[in-house]
Amino acid sequence: MPVATPGAAPRARLNGDGAGAVIELRQLTKRFGAVTAVDRLSFQVRPGTVTGFLGPNGAGKTTTLRMLLGLVHPDSGQATIWGNRYADLGVWRRKVGVVLEASGLHPGRTVRDHLRVRCAATGIASARIDAVLEETGLDGLASRRAGALSLGERQRLGLAAALLGNPGLLILDEPGNGLDPAGVAWLRDLLRRLGRAGRTVLVSSHLLAEVAQTADQVIVINRGRLISSGPVSQLTAATGQAVIVRTPQAAELRAALVAGGAAVRELADGRLEISGAAVEQVATLAAARGLPIFEITKETGSLEDAFLTLTAGERRPG
Amino acid sequence: MNATLRAEFLKLRTTKTAAGLAGLAVAVTALIATLESATAGTGRGMAIPSLATPTGLRDAVASTGFALIAAAVLGTVITCGEFRHKTATGAYLDQPDRKRVLAAKAMAAAAIGALVGLAAAATATGIGLGFAAARGYPLALPAATIIRYGAGAALGAGLLCAAGVGAGSLIRHQIGAIIAVFAWGFAVELVVGGTATAVAPYLPYTAAALMAGVTSGGGIPPIARGVIALPFAAAAAVLAGVAVLLAAAAATTTVRRDIA
Repeated sequence: MPVATPGAAPRARLNGDGAGAVIELRQLTKRFGAVTAVDRLSFQVRPGTVTGFLGPNGAGKTTTLRMLLGLVHPDSGQATIWGNRYADLGVWRRKVGVVLEASGLHPGRTVRDHLRVRCAATGIASARIDAVLEETGLDGLASRRAGALSLGERQRLGLAAALLGNPGLLILDEPGNGLDPAGVAWLRDLLRRLGRAGRTVLVSSHLLAEVAQTADQVIVINRGRLISSGPVSQLTAATGQAVIVRTPQAAELRAALVAGGAAVRELADGRLEISGAAVEQVATLAAARGLPIFEITKETGSLEDAFLTLTAGERRPG
Repeated sequence: MNATLRAEFLKLRTTKTAAGLAGLAVAVTALIATLESATAGTGRGMAIPSLATPTGLRDAVASTGFALIAAAVLGTVITCGEFRHKTATGAYLDQPDRKRVLAAKAMAAAAIGALVGLAAAATATGIGLGFAAARGYPLALPAATIIRYGAGAALGAGLLCAAGVGAGSLIRHQIGAIIAVFAWGFAVELVVGGTATAVAPYLPYTAAALMAGVTSGGGIPPIARGVIALPFAAAAAVLAGVAVLLAAAAATTTVRRDIA
Protein backbone atom coordinates (compact mmCIF):
# COMPACT_ATOMS: atom_id res chain seq x y z
CA MET A 1 0.00 0.00 0.00
CA PRO A 2 1.49 3.35 -0.97
CA VAL A 3 2.24 5.95 1.65
CA ALA A 4 -0.17 8.83 1.37
CA THR A 5 1.47 12.19 0.84
CA PRO A 6 -0.79 15.01 2.03
CA GLY A 7 1.46 15.85 4.94
CA ALA A 8 4.65 15.79 2.93
CA ALA A 9 6.10 19.03 1.72
CA PRO A 10 6.12 19.48 -2.05
CA ARG A 11 9.09 17.84 -3.76
CA ALA A 12 10.21 21.10 -5.35
CA ARG A 13 10.58 22.71 -1.97
CA LEU A 14 12.02 19.62 -0.37
CA ASN A 15 14.85 19.27 -2.79
CA GLY A 16 15.13 22.77 -4.11
CA ASP A 17 18.31 24.67 -3.50
CA GLY A 18 18.17 27.12 -0.66
CA ALA A 19 15.49 25.18 1.16
CA GLY A 20 16.08 25.44 4.90
CA ALA A 21 16.92 22.53 7.15
CA VAL A 22 13.95 20.67 8.54
CA ILE A 23 15.84 19.90 11.73
CA GLU A 24 18.64 22.04 13.05
CA LEU A 25 20.62 21.58 16.24
CA ARG A 26 22.96 24.30 17.36
CA GLN A 27 25.42 23.66 20.17
CA LEU A 28 22.87 21.53 21.98
CA THR A 29 24.08 20.47 25.42
CA LYS A 30 22.54 18.42 28.21
CA ARG A 31 24.12 17.33 31.46
CA PHE A 32 22.76 14.86 33.97
CA GLY A 33 24.75 15.59 37.10
CA ALA A 34 28.39 15.02 36.28
CA VAL A 35 27.61 13.26 33.00
CA THR A 36 27.44 15.29 29.83
CA ALA A 37 24.94 13.33 27.77
CA VAL A 38 24.95 15.69 24.81
CA ASP A 39 27.90 17.96 24.25
CA ARG A 40 27.58 21.02 21.98
CA LEU A 41 25.94 18.95 19.29
CA SER A 42 25.18 20.65 15.99
CA PHE A 43 23.79 19.16 12.80
CA GLN A 44 21.13 19.67 10.19
CA VAL A 45 18.67 17.35 8.54
CA ARG A 46 17.83 18.41 5.02
CA PRO A 47 14.32 18.24 3.58
CA GLY A 48 13.23 15.07 1.83
CA THR A 49 16.06 12.92 3.15
CA VAL A 50 16.12 9.75 5.19
CA THR A 51 18.83 10.39 7.76
CA GLY A 52 20.28 7.71 9.98
CA PHE A 53 21.19 8.84 13.48
CA LEU A 54 23.85 6.48 14.75
CA GLY A 55 25.86 6.02 17.88
CA PRO A 56 26.73 3.32 20.38
CA ASN A 57 24.60 2.74 23.46
CA GLY A 58 24.76 5.77 25.73
CA ALA A 59 25.94 8.04 22.92
CA GLY A 60 23.12 10.51 23.62
CA LYS A 61 20.82 9.74 20.69
CA THR A 62 17.61 9.41 22.69
CA THR A 63 18.38 12.44 24.84
CA THR A 64 19.02 14.44 21.68
CA LEU A 65 15.73 13.40 20.14
CA ARG A 66 13.87 14.15 23.37
CA MET A 67 15.39 17.62 23.50
CA LEU A 68 14.37 18.15 19.88
CA LEU A 69 10.80 17.26 20.86
CA GLY A 70 10.70 19.41 23.98
CA LEU A 71 10.50 16.50 26.40
CA VAL A 72 13.93 17.15 27.88
CA HIS A 73 15.15 20.67 28.51
CA PRO A 74 18.64 21.44 27.17
CA ASP A 75 21.16 23.18 29.39
CA SER A 76 22.21 25.28 26.42
CA GLY A 77 21.90 25.41 22.67
CA GLN A 78 18.89 25.14 20.43
CA ALA A 79 17.00 22.44 18.61
CA THR A 80 14.47 23.51 16.00
CA ILE A 81 12.10 21.93 13.52
CA TRP A 82 11.36 24.08 10.50
CA GLY A 83 12.95 26.92 12.42
CA ASN A 84 10.72 26.61 15.48
CA ARG A 85 10.85 24.89 18.80
CA TYR A 86 8.64 21.79 18.74
CA ALA A 87 6.26 23.45 21.22
CA ASP A 88 5.74 26.34 18.82
CA LEU A 89 4.98 24.25 15.74
CA GLY A 90 1.22 23.85 16.34
CA VAL A 91 -0.83 20.88 15.07
CA TRP A 92 2.15 18.85 16.13
CA ARG A 93 1.19 15.34 15.11
CA ARG A 94 0.13 16.52 11.64
CA LYS A 95 3.64 17.89 11.13
CA VAL A 96 5.83 15.49 13.07
CA GLY A 97 5.31 11.77 13.54
CA VAL A 98 7.25 10.35 16.45
CA VAL A 99 8.21 6.90 17.68
CA LEU A 100 10.20 7.13 20.89
CA GLU A 101 9.62 4.01 22.94
CA ALA A 102 7.57 0.89 22.56
CA SER A 103 6.59 1.04 26.23
CA GLY A 104 4.54 4.23 26.01
CA LEU A 105 1.23 2.39 25.88
CA HIS A 106 -1.40 1.73 28.52
CA PRO A 107 -1.51 -2.07 28.77
CA GLY A 108 -5.29 -2.10 29.24
CA ARG A 109 -6.10 0.01 26.20
CA THR A 110 -6.73 -1.68 22.86
CA VAL A 111 -4.76 -0.93 19.73
CA ARG A 112 -7.68 0.91 18.16
CA ASP A 113 -8.42 2.88 21.33
CA HIS A 114 -4.78 3.92 21.59
CA LEU A 115 -5.04 5.41 18.11
CA ARG A 116 -8.44 6.93 18.92
CA VAL A 117 -6.86 8.79 21.85
CA ARG A 118 -4.13 10.12 19.56
CA CYS A 119 -6.76 11.24 17.06
CA ALA A 120 -8.87 12.91 19.74
CA ALA A 121 -5.88 14.73 21.20
CA THR A 122 -4.70 16.04 17.87
CA GLY A 123 -7.89 16.60 15.94
CA ILE A 124 -6.92 14.00 13.34
CA ALA A 125 -9.93 12.28 11.77
CA SER A 126 -10.40 8.83 13.25
CA ALA A 127 -11.09 7.61 9.70
CA ARG A 128 -7.29 7.46 9.38
CA ILE A 129 -7.09 4.67 11.93
CA ASP A 130 -8.00 1.83 9.59
CA ALA A 131 -5.54 3.10 6.99
CA VAL A 132 -2.57 3.14 9.38
CA LEU A 133 -3.54 -0.20 10.90
CA GLU A 134 -3.41 -1.70 7.43
CA GLU A 135 -0.21 0.16 6.59
CA THR A 136 1.51 -1.29 9.66
CA GLY A 137 0.02 -4.76 9.43
CA LEU A 138 -1.99 -4.40 12.64
CA ASP A 139 -5.45 -4.56 11.08
CA GLY A 140 -6.03 -7.97 12.63
CA LEU A 141 -5.03 -6.80 16.10
CA ALA A 142 -7.20 -3.71 16.45
CA SER A 143 -9.14 -5.14 19.38
CA ARG A 144 -6.13 -6.54 21.21
CA ARG A 145 -4.99 -4.82 24.39
CA ALA A 146 -1.54 -3.25 24.25
CA GLY A 147 -0.43 -5.38 27.19
CA ALA A 148 -0.89 -8.49 25.05
CA LEU A 149 1.21 -7.23 22.15
CA SER A 150 4.72 -8.44 21.39
CA LEU A 151 7.53 -5.89 21.34
CA GLY A 152 7.48 -5.92 17.55
CA GLU A 153 3.74 -5.32 17.49
CA ARG A 154 4.16 -2.46 19.94
CA GLN A 155 6.76 -0.95 17.63
CA ARG A 156 4.32 -1.25 14.74
CA LEU A 157 1.65 0.44 16.85
CA GLY A 158 4.06 3.26 17.59
CA LEU A 159 4.67 3.65 13.87
CA ALA A 160 0.93 3.54 13.19
CA ALA A 161 0.42 6.40 15.64
CA ALA A 162 3.28 8.31 14.02
CA LEU A 163 1.70 7.95 10.58
CA LEU A 164 -1.80 9.00 11.69
CA GLY A 165 -1.40 12.65 10.77
CA ASN A 166 0.41 12.07 7.45
CA PRO A 167 3.30 14.15 8.79
CA GLY A 168 6.03 15.59 6.61
CA LEU A 169 8.66 14.70 9.21
CA LEU A 170 9.13 11.45 11.06
CA ILE A 171 11.43 11.09 14.05
CA LEU A 172 11.95 7.44 14.91
CA ASP A 173 14.04 6.21 17.83
CA GLU A 174 15.17 2.62 17.24
CA PRO A 175 11.99 1.63 15.40
CA GLY A 176 13.51 -1.73 14.47
CA ASN A 177 13.84 -2.89 18.08
CA GLY A 178 11.92 -6.10 18.60
CA LEU A 179 10.98 -6.59 14.97
CA ASP A 180 11.48 -10.03 13.49
CA PRO A 181 13.29 -10.36 10.13
CA ALA A 182 10.03 -9.91 8.24
CA GLY A 183 9.31 -6.84 10.35
CA VAL A 184 12.76 -5.42 9.66
CA ALA A 185 12.21 -5.92 5.93
CA TRP A 186 8.81 -4.25 6.25
CA LEU A 187 10.36 -1.31 8.13
CA ARG A 188 13.07 -0.97 5.46
CA ASP A 189 10.40 -0.87 2.78
CA LEU A 190 8.35 1.63 4.76
CA LEU A 191 11.30 3.98 5.21
CA ARG A 192 12.09 3.77 1.51
CA ARG A 193 8.50 4.56 0.58
CA LEU A 194 8.45 7.46 3.02
CA GLY A 195 11.63 8.78 1.46
CA ARG A 196 10.24 8.41 -2.05
CA ALA A 197 7.07 10.21 -0.95
CA GLY A 198 9.16 13.24 -0.02
CA ARG A 199 9.01 12.79 3.73
CA THR A 200 11.92 13.77 5.87
CA VAL A 201 12.89 10.95 8.21
CA LEU A 202 15.35 10.99 11.09
CA VAL A 203 15.83 7.46 12.34
CA SER A 204 18.13 6.41 15.13
CA SER A 205 19.23 2.83 14.97
CA HIS A 206 21.90 0.39 15.88
CA LEU A 207 20.94 -1.82 12.91
CA LEU A 208 23.66 -0.37 10.74
CA ALA A 209 23.02 -2.61 7.74
CA GLU A 210 19.41 -1.45 7.69
CA VAL A 211 20.42 2.19 7.89
CA ALA A 212 22.93 1.67 5.08
CA GLN A 213 20.15 0.32 2.87
CA THR A 214 17.61 3.03 3.57
CA ALA A 215 19.35 6.24 4.61
CA ASP A 216 20.58 8.97 2.31
CA GLN A 217 22.57 10.65 5.05
CA VAL A 218 24.01 9.53 8.34
CA ILE A 219 24.88 11.40 11.50
CA VAL A 220 27.22 9.60 13.88
CA ILE A 221 27.56 10.72 17.48
CA ASN A 222 29.49 9.32 20.39
CA ARG A 223 29.58 10.52 23.99
CA GLY A 224 27.18 13.26 22.97
CA ARG A 225 29.50 14.71 20.36
CA LEU A 226 29.23 14.73 16.59
CA ILE A 227 31.68 12.31 15.05
CA SER A 228 30.66 12.45 11.42
CA SER A 229 27.81 13.46 9.14
CA GLY A 230 27.21 13.19 5.45
CA PRO A 231 26.06 10.79 2.73
CA VAL A 232 26.38 7.10 3.53
CA SER A 233 28.68 6.62 0.51
CA GLN A 234 31.01 9.36 1.72
CA LEU A 235 31.20 7.86 5.17
CA THR A 236 31.94 4.34 3.96
CA ALA A 237 34.48 5.59 1.42
CA ALA A 238 36.25 7.51 4.15
CA THR A 239 37.04 4.30 5.94
CA GLY A 240 39.12 3.22 2.96
CA GLN A 241 38.57 0.97 0.02
CA ALA A 242 40.58 -1.88 -1.39
CA VAL A 243 41.07 -3.53 -4.76
CA ILE A 244 40.90 -7.32 -4.85
CA VAL A 245 42.78 -9.07 -7.65
CA ARG A 246 43.08 -12.71 -8.69
CA THR A 247 46.03 -13.42 -10.94
CA PRO A 248 48.22 -16.48 -11.60
CA GLN A 249 51.28 -14.22 -11.31
CA ALA A 250 50.63 -12.72 -7.92
CA ALA A 251 54.27 -12.33 -6.95
CA GLU A 252 55.12 -10.25 -10.01
CA LEU A 253 52.04 -8.04 -9.66
CA ARG A 254 52.68 -7.59 -5.95
CA ALA A 255 56.26 -6.47 -6.56
CA ALA A 256 55.16 -4.00 -9.20
CA LEU A 257 52.42 -2.55 -6.97
CA VAL A 258 54.68 -2.20 -3.95
CA ALA A 259 57.27 -0.50 -6.10
CA GLY A 260 54.55 1.93 -7.12
CA GLY A 261 53.75 2.76 -3.50
CA ALA A 262 50.64 0.62 -2.92
CA ALA A 263 50.13 -1.64 0.08
CA VAL A 264 49.48 -5.26 -0.80
CA ARG A 265 48.25 -8.09 1.36
CA GLU A 266 47.80 -11.67 0.20
CA LEU A 267 44.47 -13.16 1.24
CA ALA A 268 44.04 -16.77 2.34
CA ASP A 269 42.65 -17.80 -1.05
CA GLY A 270 45.67 -16.37 -2.86
CA ARG A 271 44.00 -13.17 -4.03
CA LEU A 272 45.69 -9.84 -3.43
CA GLU A 273 44.10 -7.04 -1.42
CA ILE A 274 45.55 -3.74 -2.57
CA SER A 275 45.08 -0.40 -0.87
CA GLY A 276 46.50 2.89 -1.98
CA ALA A 277 45.77 2.30 -5.65
CA ALA A 278 42.58 2.63 -7.71
CA VAL A 279 41.14 -0.19 -9.82
CA GLU A 280 42.19 1.64 -12.98
CA GLN A 281 45.77 2.01 -11.76
CA VAL A 282 46.04 -1.68 -10.87
CA ALA A 283 44.55 -2.84 -14.18
CA THR A 284 46.76 -0.50 -16.22
CA LEU A 285 49.88 -1.61 -14.38
CA ALA A 286 49.05 -5.29 -14.89
CA ALA A 287 48.38 -4.74 -18.61
CA ALA A 288 51.65 -2.85 -19.02
CA ARG A 289 53.56 -5.75 -17.44
CA GLY A 290 51.65 -8.37 -19.42
CA LEU A 291 50.25 -9.94 -16.25
CA PRO A 292 46.92 -11.77 -16.74
CA ILE A 293 44.05 -10.81 -14.42
CA PHE A 294 41.18 -13.25 -13.86
CA GLU A 295 39.26 -11.08 -11.43
CA ILE A 296 39.43 -7.48 -10.22
CA THR A 297 36.93 -5.82 -7.89
CA LYS A 298 36.67 -2.69 -5.78
CA GLU A 299 35.72 -3.36 -2.19
CA THR A 300 34.23 -0.51 -0.17
CA GLY A 301 33.99 -0.57 3.60
CA SER A 302 30.57 -1.17 5.11
CA LEU A 303 28.73 1.33 7.26
CA GLU A 304 29.49 -0.96 10.15
CA ASP A 305 33.21 -0.74 9.40
CA ALA A 306 32.92 3.02 9.20
CA PHE A 307 30.94 3.20 12.42
CA LEU A 308 33.39 1.01 14.30
CA THR A 309 36.33 2.99 12.94
CA LEU A 310 34.77 6.31 13.87
CA THR A 311 33.83 5.28 17.37
CA ALA A 312 36.85 3.10 18.06
CA GLY A 313 38.30 3.64 21.50
CA GLU A 314 35.41 5.89 22.53
CA ARG A 315 32.65 3.36 23.05
CA ARG A 316 31.27 3.01 26.50
CA PRO A 317 30.82 -0.49 27.78
CA GLY A 318 27.30 -1.92 27.71
CA MET B 1 -8.14 22.72 24.93
CA ASN B 2 -11.18 20.97 23.53
CA ALA B 3 -9.09 18.31 21.80
CA THR B 4 -6.98 17.72 24.92
CA LEU B 5 -10.10 17.49 27.08
CA ARG B 6 -11.73 15.07 24.62
CA ALA B 7 -8.63 12.92 24.72
CA GLU B 8 -8.66 12.87 28.52
CA PHE B 9 -12.28 11.74 28.61
CA LEU B 10 -11.52 9.10 26.00
CA LYS B 11 -8.56 7.86 28.06
CA LEU B 12 -10.87 7.42 31.04
CA ARG B 13 -13.41 5.53 28.96
CA THR B 14 -10.95 3.20 27.27
CA THR B 15 -9.35 1.60 30.32
CA LYS B 16 -10.91 -0.19 33.25
CA THR B 17 -9.28 2.04 35.88
CA ALA B 18 -12.00 4.65 36.22
CA ALA B 19 -14.85 2.17 35.92
CA GLY B 20 -13.14 -0.18 38.38
CA LEU B 21 -12.58 2.49 41.02
CA ALA B 22 -16.09 3.84 40.52
CA GLY B 23 -17.46 0.33 40.90
CA LEU B 24 -15.39 -0.21 44.04
CA ALA B 25 -16.60 3.11 45.49
CA VAL B 26 -20.23 2.25 44.85
CA ALA B 27 -19.85 -1.32 46.13
CA VAL B 28 -18.17 -0.24 49.38
CA THR B 29 -20.73 2.53 49.81
CA ALA B 30 -23.51 -0.01 49.33
CA LEU B 31 -21.92 -2.32 51.89
CA ILE B 32 -21.53 0.45 54.47
CA ALA B 33 -25.04 1.81 53.86
CA THR B 34 -26.50 -1.67 54.15
CA LEU B 35 -24.64 -2.45 57.38
CA GLU B 36 -25.61 0.91 58.88
CA SER B 37 -29.24 0.64 57.81
CA ALA B 38 -29.57 -2.94 58.94
CA THR B 39 -28.16 -2.23 62.37
CA ALA B 40 -29.61 1.28 62.85
CA GLY B 41 -31.34 1.66 66.15
CA THR B 42 -30.22 -1.75 67.41
CA GLY B 43 -27.08 -0.62 69.18
CA ARG B 44 -25.09 -3.15 67.19
CA GLY B 45 -22.57 -2.53 64.47
CA MET B 46 -21.71 1.15 64.15
CA ALA B 47 -24.41 1.90 66.73
CA ILE B 48 -26.17 4.54 64.67
CA PRO B 49 -29.58 5.78 65.79
CA SER B 50 -32.82 4.51 64.29
CA LEU B 51 -33.65 5.38 60.71
CA ALA B 52 -36.78 6.98 62.07
CA THR B 53 -34.58 9.79 63.41
CA PRO B 54 -32.94 12.50 61.32
CA THR B 55 -29.49 11.55 62.64
CA GLY B 56 -29.91 7.88 61.90
CA LEU B 57 -31.24 8.43 58.40
CA ARG B 58 -28.49 10.96 57.73
CA ASP B 59 -25.83 8.47 58.78
CA ALA B 60 -27.26 5.94 56.32
CA VAL B 61 -27.94 8.11 53.26
CA ALA B 62 -24.71 10.06 53.67
CA SER B 63 -22.39 7.07 54.03
CA THR B 64 -20.37 8.29 51.04
CA GLY B 65 -17.06 8.94 52.80
CA PHE B 66 -15.26 6.05 51.13
CA ALA B 67 -16.48 7.21 47.71
CA LEU B 68 -14.97 10.63 48.38
CA ILE B 69 -11.61 9.03 49.17
CA ALA B 70 -11.94 6.75 46.13
CA ALA B 71 -12.51 9.81 43.94
CA ALA B 72 -9.33 11.39 45.27
CA VAL B 73 -7.47 8.14 44.57
CA LEU B 74 -8.87 8.09 41.03
CA GLY B 75 -7.53 11.60 40.49
CA THR B 76 -4.03 10.58 41.53
CA VAL B 77 -4.16 7.44 39.37
CA ILE B 78 -5.16 9.52 36.33
CA THR B 79 -1.85 11.36 36.46
CA CYS B 80 0.44 8.79 38.07
CA GLY B 81 -0.69 6.22 35.51
CA GLU B 82 0.65 8.42 32.73
CA PHE B 83 4.10 8.25 34.27
CA ARG B 84 3.82 4.60 35.29
CA HIS B 85 2.97 3.49 31.75
CA LYS B 86 5.12 6.19 30.13
CA THR B 87 2.11 7.48 28.24
CA ALA B 88 2.94 11.01 29.42
CA THR B 89 5.43 11.16 26.54
CA GLY B 90 2.66 10.74 23.97
CA ALA B 91 0.40 13.19 25.80
CA TYR B 92 3.09 15.88 25.79
CA LEU B 93 3.88 15.26 22.12
CA ASP B 94 0.18 15.67 21.31
CA GLN B 95 0.02 18.87 23.35
CA PRO B 96 3.39 20.30 24.45
CA ASP B 97 1.72 22.85 26.73
CA ARG B 98 1.90 20.72 29.87
CA LYS B 99 -0.19 23.11 31.96
CA ARG B 100 -2.96 22.73 29.42
CA VAL B 101 -2.70 18.94 29.68
CA LEU B 102 -2.83 19.20 33.48
CA ALA B 103 -5.87 21.48 33.33
CA ALA B 104 -7.66 19.11 30.96
CA LYS B 105 -6.91 16.20 33.27
CA ALA B 106 -8.28 18.13 36.26
CA MET B 107 -11.46 18.98 34.37
CA ALA B 108 -11.99 15.43 33.19
CA ALA B 109 -11.27 14.19 36.71
CA ALA B 110 -13.76 16.63 38.21
CA ALA B 111 -16.45 15.31 35.89
CA ILE B 112 -15.75 11.63 36.48
CA GLY B 113 -15.32 12.22 40.22
CA ALA B 114 -18.69 13.94 40.36
CA LEU B 115 -20.25 10.92 38.68
CA VAL B 116 -18.63 8.64 41.26
CA GLY B 117 -19.96 10.82 44.09
CA LEU B 118 -23.40 10.96 42.55
CA ALA B 119 -23.54 7.19 42.03
CA ALA B 120 -22.41 6.56 45.60
CA ALA B 121 -24.93 9.05 46.98
CA ALA B 122 -27.75 7.53 44.94
CA THR B 123 -26.78 4.07 46.17
CA ALA B 124 -26.58 5.07 49.83
CA THR B 125 -29.80 7.07 49.62
CA GLY B 126 -31.64 4.24 47.94
CA ILE B 127 -30.51 1.75 50.56
CA GLY B 128 -31.17 4.05 53.53
CA LEU B 129 -34.63 5.07 52.31
CA GLY B 130 -35.39 1.49 51.34
CA PHE B 131 -34.66 0.18 54.83
CA ALA B 132 -36.61 3.07 56.38
CA ALA B 133 -39.60 2.43 54.15
CA ALA B 134 -39.44 -1.31 54.79
CA ARG B 135 -39.67 -0.61 58.51
CA GLY B 136 -42.59 1.74 57.95
CA TYR B 137 -40.77 4.87 59.14
CA PRO B 138 -41.81 8.28 57.86
CA LEU B 139 -39.16 10.28 56.03
CA ALA B 140 -37.08 11.71 58.86
CA LEU B 141 -35.21 14.22 56.72
CA PRO B 142 -36.56 16.87 54.35
CA ALA B 143 -36.15 15.85 50.69
CA ALA B 144 -34.17 19.05 50.08
CA THR B 145 -31.62 17.98 52.69
CA ILE B 146 -31.18 14.56 51.12
CA ILE B 147 -30.76 16.20 47.71
CA ARG B 148 -28.21 18.60 49.19
CA TYR B 149 -26.22 15.67 50.59
CA GLY B 150 -26.27 14.06 47.16
CA ALA B 151 -25.17 17.26 45.49
CA GLY B 152 -22.47 17.64 48.13
CA ALA B 153 -21.21 14.13 47.48
CA ALA B 154 -21.09 14.78 43.74
CA LEU B 155 -19.41 18.17 44.04
CA GLY B 156 -17.08 17.04 46.82
CA ALA B 157 -16.00 13.91 44.94
CA GLY B 158 -15.50 15.89 41.75
CA LEU B 159 -13.31 18.47 43.43
CA LEU B 160 -11.37 15.85 45.41
CA CYS B 161 -10.75 13.96 42.17
CA ALA B 162 -9.46 17.15 40.56
CA ALA B 163 -7.27 17.77 43.61
CA GLY B 164 -5.99 14.20 43.23
CA VAL B 165 -4.76 15.07 39.75
CA GLY B 166 -2.52 17.76 41.21
CA ALA B 167 -1.38 15.50 44.03
CA GLY B 168 -0.59 12.70 41.56
CA SER B 169 1.45 15.08 39.42
CA LEU B 170 3.45 16.05 42.47
CA ILE B 171 4.02 12.53 43.76
CA ARG B 172 4.14 10.71 40.38
CA HIS B 173 4.62 7.28 42.01
CA GLN B 174 1.26 5.53 41.81
CA ILE B 175 1.41 3.31 44.86
CA GLY B 176 2.94 6.11 46.91
CA ALA B 177 0.19 8.48 45.84
CA ILE B 178 -2.59 6.02 46.72
CA ILE B 179 -1.07 5.38 50.15
CA ALA B 180 -0.71 9.13 50.68
CA VAL B 181 -4.40 9.71 49.92
CA PHE B 182 -5.59 6.97 52.28
CA ALA B 183 -3.18 8.10 54.99
CA TRP B 184 -4.44 11.64 54.60
CA GLY B 185 -8.10 10.66 54.77
CA PHE B 186 -7.88 8.04 57.51
CA ALA B 187 -5.15 9.50 59.70
CA VAL B 188 -3.95 13.05 59.07
CA GLU B 189 -7.36 14.71 58.93
CA LEU B 190 -8.63 12.76 61.93
CA VAL B 191 -5.62 13.74 64.02
CA VAL B 192 -5.58 17.37 62.90
CA GLY B 193 -9.36 17.61 63.12
CA GLY B 194 -9.35 16.07 66.58
CA THR B 195 -6.78 18.50 67.91
CA ALA B 196 -7.89 21.64 66.08
CA THR B 197 -11.61 21.53 65.33
CA ALA B 198 -11.57 25.11 64.04
CA VAL B 199 -9.12 24.09 61.30
CA ALA B 200 -10.85 20.83 60.39
CA PRO B 201 -13.61 22.29 58.12
CA TYR B 202 -10.87 23.69 55.91
CA LEU B 203 -9.23 20.28 55.39
CA PRO B 204 -10.16 18.87 52.00
CA TYR B 205 -11.70 15.51 52.97
CA THR B 206 -13.53 16.96 55.95
CA ALA B 207 -14.86 19.85 53.85
CA ALA B 208 -16.12 17.44 51.19
CA ALA B 209 -17.51 14.99 53.75
CA LEU B 210 -19.46 17.72 55.53
CA MET B 211 -20.88 18.88 52.19
CA ALA B 212 -22.03 15.32 51.60
CA GLY B 213 -23.56 15.05 55.07
CA VAL B 214 -21.01 12.54 56.37
CA THR B 215 -21.00 12.44 60.17
CA SER B 216 -18.49 11.50 62.79
CA GLY B 217 -20.47 8.32 63.39
CA GLY B 218 -21.39 7.15 59.93
CA GLY B 219 -18.46 7.99 57.71
CA ILE B 220 -15.67 5.70 56.59
CA PRO B 221 -13.32 7.39 57.03
CA PRO B 222 -15.14 9.34 59.78
CA ILE B 223 -14.64 13.00 60.48
CA ALA B 224 -13.47 14.36 63.80
CA ARG B 225 -16.15 14.99 66.41
CA GLY B 226 -17.33 18.53 67.11
CA VAL B 227 -16.41 19.94 63.74
CA ILE B 228 -18.80 22.59 62.48
CA ALA B 229 -19.47 22.50 58.76
CA LEU B 230 -18.73 25.49 56.55
CA PRO B 231 -21.55 26.82 54.42
CA PHE B 232 -21.95 24.69 51.29
CA ALA B 233 -20.50 27.29 48.91
CA ALA B 234 -17.59 28.06 51.24
CA ALA B 235 -16.72 24.37 51.53
CA ALA B 236 -16.83 24.05 47.74
CA ALA B 237 -14.57 27.09 47.46
CA VAL B 238 -12.12 25.52 49.94
CA LEU B 239 -11.99 22.31 47.90
CA ALA B 240 -11.62 24.18 44.61
CA GLY B 241 -8.82 26.19 46.20
CA VAL B 242 -7.02 23.03 47.27
CA ALA B 243 -7.35 21.61 43.75
CA VAL B 244 -6.02 24.81 42.20
CA LEU B 245 -3.16 25.04 44.72
CA LEU B 246 -2.04 21.46 44.12
CA ALA B 247 -2.28 21.92 40.35
CA ALA B 248 -0.33 25.17 40.54
CA ALA B 249 2.36 23.53 42.67
CA ALA B 250 2.61 20.67 40.17
CA ALA B 251 2.66 23.06 37.22
CA THR B 252 5.59 24.98 38.63
CA THR B 253 7.58 21.95 39.77
CA THR B 254 7.12 18.36 38.66
CA VAL B 255 5.19 19.03 35.46
CA ARG B 256 8.19 20.95 34.11
CA ARG B 257 10.57 18.07 34.72
CA ASP B 258 12.30 16.22 31.90
CA ILE B 259 10.36 13.30 30.49
CA ALA B 260 13.14 10.76 30.16
